[in-house]
Amino acid sequence: MKKINNTYLLTAATLIMMLLGTNTYSQISKAEIRATGLTCSMCSNAINKQLKSLPEVVNIETDLNTNTFTVTLTEGNTLSPKVFKEKVEKAGFFIGSLVLTTNAETIKKDGYILVNDTSNNNAEVQIQILDKGYVTDKEFKKLSKSLKNIVTYTSNNEDDFHIKYLN
Amino acid sequence: MRKGIILLLVFVFQKNYSQELFVVTDPASNVPANTLSVRLSQSLFKEEFVSGYNYHLMPEVTYGLNKNLMFRASAFVSNRNSQLVTEGGSFYTKYRIYSTDDLNSHFRLAAFGRYSFNNSDIHQEQIEIMGHNSGFETGFVATKLIKKVAISSSVSFEKAFDNKPNYPFPEDFGDSATNYTLSFGKLIYPKKYTNFKQTNINLMVEFVGQTINENGKSYLDVVPAIQFIINSQARIDLAYRQELLSSMLRTAPNGIYLNLEYNFFNAFK
Repeated sequence: MKKINNTYLLTAATLIMMLLGTNTYSQISKAEIRATGLTCSMCSNAINKQLKSLPEVVNIETDLNTNTFTVTLTEGNTLSPKVFKEKVEKAGFFIGSLVLTTNAETIKKDGYILVNDTSNNNAEVQIQILDKGYVTDKEFKKLSKSLKNIVTYTSNNEDDFHIKYLN
Repeated sequence: MRKGIILLLVFVFQKNYSQELFVVTDPASNVPANTLSVRLSQSLFKEEFVSGYNYHLMPEVTYGLNKNLMFRASAFVSNRNSQLVTEGGSFYTKYRIYSTDDLNSHFRLAAFGRYSFNNSDIHQEQIEIMGHNSGFETGFVATKLIKKVAISSSVSFEKAFDNKPNYPFPEDFGDSATNYTLSFGKLIYPKKYTNFKQTNINLMVEFVGQTINENGKSYLDVVPAIQFIINSQARIDLAYRQELLSSMLRTAPNGIYLNLEYNFFNAFK
């Protein structure tokens, strides 16, 4: 009986490890979202309620004057940055900037593309997503010029996240 | 009255936070996806040719299907026949065609359509499918936030049908119209936000006009309004509508509005 249980556990553990291994966007511990195009608290509340509907959200701190939402997420969540964009847009607005706090391992995986060569030895890093829909229209136009040599940036693949370190 | 309007305009054009949740016109922005908004609109307009007031009650339900598309259903109740009678209803939809947002500005463009039915008597040349005429309306609305002032404008085509079963549309009236609106809004309180529970106060002024396509008869009204947003979830509007110009027959152009609204965010799982 004990033997069967052990085999079972081992299989389960292997499965979990496999899942974790293929998971591209693990461990975003915090997301700082600045929304654009709104000044009313009812509009902010619409975004607030959209974000709260995510089961991975532990807490949201809101600065209504800058429309910045600091979202704390559950440990080990597998959220993609795309989720935040979808939620803000569902409320009728757009992301002006998205800064993620994550571990250094996460961003070494597929999907994240560092646009500058600066190295960062911190275990926990703060990154800003630079793709279309994650910065203001004006910033995107500027970035499109300065990053025109990065083929993946100009191709606008929604599963690629171009990032820069902030810490 | 004129002085009051000018004062209000001065207020609105001062740079500050602004709002676009207008009372009479709908901005190009939609209700959020999966939000159910319930509104009870009331209006009390003074009859020009007989004594008394014309009371209209309009319950409305609005639902945001996705970020670009919303639907609204309204019912029209009035006391035109001395007691409260449900005279008709309306379906409205709006699609956001274009948006561009920056940190302190946005521009949105939306197309909308409304179909209404009504069985009340037709008593004026003004075509109003919100509670008076059967018919449809279709048009565009653009809303711009420049720095901290919100300005919204719409143009639409409105066509009246017979108010079935008893009241055919009068042959000597023009049955189609061009409508135009221009709205300004500004948040006056709070100066600085601290939390979602704070009551917001908005001042607005809207200009609403119509020209009957067949004969060029027109009117232009001004609607100053004060709005309270409570708990970032409920809304109370108090507005006054005053005719500025008119060359058409209207039975009750001047009056007040009192609207109550409540929003259920993430209404359905």
